[in-house]
Amino acid sequence: MPFLAPLALLGLLLVPAVLAMYLLKLRRDPHVVPSTLLWQRLVADVEANAPWQRLRRSLLLLLQLLLVVLLALLAARPFLERPAGLAGDVVVVLDTSASMAATDVGPNRLQVAKERIYEALRDLPSNGRVSVIAAGRTARVVVNGTTDLGRVRAAIDGVAVSAATGDLADALNLANALAARSGSAEILVATDAALASKPTARLDHPVRVLQVGRARNNQAIIALAVRPSSSGVTRSVFVSVANLDIEAAEGRRIELYGDGILLEARDLQTLDPQTRTEVIVDDVPLGASVIEARLTGGSPDALELDDRAWAIVPPDRLRRILLVSDGDPYLETALTYLPSTELYGVKPADFGPATHPELFDLIIFEGFVPQELPAAAVLAIAPPESSPLGEVVGTLTDPGIGSLSPDEPILRYVDLSTTHIGRASKLVLPAWARTVIPGPQSSPLLYVGELEGRRAGVLSFLPRDSDLPLQVAFPILMANLTGELLGGSAAPTAAVVPGDPVTLPLPAGATKLVVTRPDGSSVDLAPATPGAGSVVFSLTEELGVYTATPVFASPVPTASAGPTASTGPTASAGPTASPSPATGASATPTQAPLDPAAPVRFAVDLFDPAESNIALGSAAEIEALGRRPGQSPSPGASPTPTPEATGVPGPSASPGSGGAGVDTPPVTRDELWIPVVLLVLAVLLVEWLVYHRDAVTRLWRSARGARA
Amino acid sequence: MRDQTLETTPAATGRERPAFLPTDVDPTVFDEGFLRQLERLQVLMKAPVRGGLKGGRRSVKRGQSVEFADFRDYALGDDLRLLDWNVLARLEKLFIKLYVEEEDVTIHFLLDASASMGIGTPSKLLFAKRAAAALGYIGLASEDRIAVTGLAGRAGRRQVALRGSGRVFRLLAALSGIQAADGQTDLVAAVRHAGAQLKGRGVIVLLSDLLDPAADKVIRELAATGSELIVLHLLSPEELDPQIEGDLRLVDSETGDGVDVTIDLATLDDYKRRLEAWREGFADLAAKRRATYVALSTDMPLAELVFAELRRRRVLG
Repeated sequence: MPFLAPLALLGLLLVPAVLAMYLLKLRRDPHVVPSTLLWQRLVADVEANAPWQRLRRSLLLLLQLLLVVLLALLAARPFLERPAGLAGDVVVVLDTSASMAATDVGPNRLQVAKERIYEALRDLPSNGRVSVIAAGRTARVVVNGTTDLGRVRAAIDGVAVSAATGDLADALNLANALAARSGSAEILVATDAALASKPTARLDHPVRVLQVGRARNNQAIIALAVRPSSSGVTRSVFVSVANLDIEAAEGRRIELYGDGILLEARDLQTLDPQTRTEVIVDDVPLGASVIEARLTGGSPDALELDDRAWAIVPPDRLRRILLVSDGDPYLETALTYLPSTELYGVKPADFGPATHPELFDLIIFEGFVPQELPAAAVLAIAPPESSPLGEVVGTLTDPGIGSLSPDEPILRYVDLSTTHIGRASKLVLPAWARTVIPGPQSSPLLYVGELEGRRAGVLSFLPRDSDLPLQVAFPILMANLTGELLGGSAAPTAAVVPGDPVTLPLPAGATKLVVTRPDGSSVDLAPATPGAGSVVFSLTEELGVYTATPVFASPVPTASAGPTASTGPTASAGPTASPSPATGASATPTQAPLDPAAPVRFAVDLFDPAESNIALGSAAEIEALGRRPGQSPSPGASPTPTPEATGVPGPSASPGSGGAGVDTPPVTRDELWIPVVLLVLAVLLVEWLVYHRDAVTRLWRSARGARA
Repeated sequence: MRDQTLETTPAATGRERPAFLPTDVDPTVFDEGFLRQLERLQVLMKAPVRGGLKGGRRSVKRGQSVEFADFRDYALGDDLRLLDWNVLARLEKLFIKLYVEEEDVTIHFLLDASASMGIGTPSKLLFAKRAAAALGYIGLASEDRIAVTGLAGRAGRRQVALRGSGRVFRLLAALSGIQAADGQTDLVAAVRHAGAQLKGRGVIVLLSDLLDPAADKVIRELAATGSELIVLHLLSPEELDPQIEGDLRLVDSETGDGVDVTIDLATLDDYKRRLEAWREGFADLAAKRRATYVALSTDMPLAELVFAELRRRRVLG
């Protein structure tokens, strides 16, 4: 029997120590008896049949010696070897996508997957290294190349289901890169294979799939929206429920809650398999600010995560936009159709303090830039001269549009492929801004950013100098652009995809935002730079309603929050003086703007039918991505050369692991501590019984006497 | 029920000597409680203990008494008062009536006063003294002669024989004078010494723990004196059922010798078995020698001893 720590066998030296203690010990307590006559005979007889008697007396000594030997053995860590079933370097990919929360196997698929991983890792060769990747929305390395299985276990235990749509392909690529560090590596994938997006990349290492899950019955809320109803007095709620099962679901019910109070419950008809059912609830009262939909009743489905959804009722507040322009019908029309906004107009010549620029949320200057910029958000269109908003270095004629970033939120749904621009100002991108629409020679056509605490944007050309106003893209671009600059509706009213970062507005004067997550925990968000107008919150893994509360260094005087009625623009000539904007000209901004210190809410919902579909996928497809055992990696398939190949002694060339020992089949070691410990406990028990045998015998006798 | 008064409690020792108690009576041994018990004995004795100590009281001799024994022919010189006149009148023959001679019996109490007797709760010697006092009291009440001898060292110190129920306090004083020996006691030698002082046959009551290698010899020799022998074998509860455990060095109270022994339940069981065999050995020996052997524990109440145990063993009539 080999030992891991043979030096510990030195503990056997304690055997003579125990013997010596026994020999030295007996200092007997004197006890006076009338006569030792009877005792002497007793002792004489005991010594007469000595061997057995002596043995009986020294039974305790023998047991203690045995205990010492066993403990020394235990400390030496004996083990048995057997062939290992895994490679020397194992990369475990644990799927943590939302479907892994399904409870068709108890307690849930993730837990079962963890158990399967622990089971599989028993076949790990001795000194085998393990890396663990949690494959949620993004791949995350939880443990990297450790031989400490305790750490691996602790790390895997700490992995929780993320409510997001999983991206297994990303995780597999990462696993492939990690596995490339050693010669013989294997990728273990613990998943239900119910994948929203199927990975396709080839992997250079064998892949084994530990598949979990059984059932596929799931119904999910895949959309929830709140809209003002046509009457304008109430709101309508739109819910879409999908039955992703292959059998019809009966008796399910949609419950709608407004701020936690049940507003409406509606029984759904039989939900046909693989179909969607829409529910529209009108007459939802205006007061509710958070609408929650719950899918209940019937036989509960396997995945509870997608049976609840939340929506934030958009605030009713009107935003005020001031257009400083000599008159541009395209622009005015586009701005007029913006929801929840009021448009005011003024001529550049009339713009001044009397216009009360502080009353507006956004001021658009067309072909004009004032000497002093107002405190509100600013959009300058075709600035004629250099200003803090940007340096004008010339004029561009017929500029082309550069390549657009697909992730740019301002360009969402905006198609500029057929747009032509006649003339534009040539601008230099200031340090505070980011390019939205690039132009030729690194001179941007549209950029936005934050200038001295206000949002600002510059469009380098007049809309009427291009064919943009004639395209569908124009109102969308204007809506996105003003939305970005107004920023203020604060949070996205549409549902946020779990895991996606959210940009939250930071009111002026606030030092930080405290975001309370649905589970009650809160996160402090401080702006990266002082005076920034927004912060980014990325911990949106959990489904539910998040509340962001701004924190001010000093109490905000309410008077400064908005104009009071007495100083309001009703008296000013500003908006009414403008002849050009047809709409809103007569309206006066009587409504006070929202309290900037008010908390802002947003909802995170799954809304992903692909992820809600928990039907098991094909494990073989994933396994087919990997290299077959025995097949050599295709040359060039692995972009990262192994350290062995390059001859560079890398950190992965650790002793005992696959890199060096390809020839010898790896073995795994099963330590024998459990039987030894059991044996120790048994010996301890026997020793206890021997030590207390008199008490035990007396007990037994008294019990027998009582029975008799 | 255990008689509490038998124990020498500190309260009892601290008590003042009763006014009637002679100065040579040890008030710690014969305390007030014990004296009360004696008093009760006196009352109870009238009926149940009529006979007192039996044994050699009925003499084989014929003599003067009221109890008829036999007839014999008249011989010249016989006392005419003993002629059976009724027989003479009927048969015209001379017969002399013979009566049982009532002997003057001496009851010897041999108290083992070796060091080992001083041990125990209550001490065996204390118990021996009280038992001897109770039995002696009965003897005195039955007009027997009572002699008390303490066996210590190699000698038996005999006190003067007493007679008559009025001598109770003398008896108590004599018993008080016996103290446990300090050194070693050779029981055989002491018994021989005491036996040499015995006159005629009588009753010998040996009160001892018999913790002597030659104890059987003592019984044999005393039985051989011709007197009736009653052996009261006294052992304390600690000896009968030792409450000791562990690795001990047992020290002999007389010799000071030590025995190393590891005591556990098995050892104790063994000890008890041996003790039983040891006592049975004495009982067998006594039976062979026509002696009476009574094994007693010193925690036995005196009343039970006198009225139940000794009567059951036919020591008392």
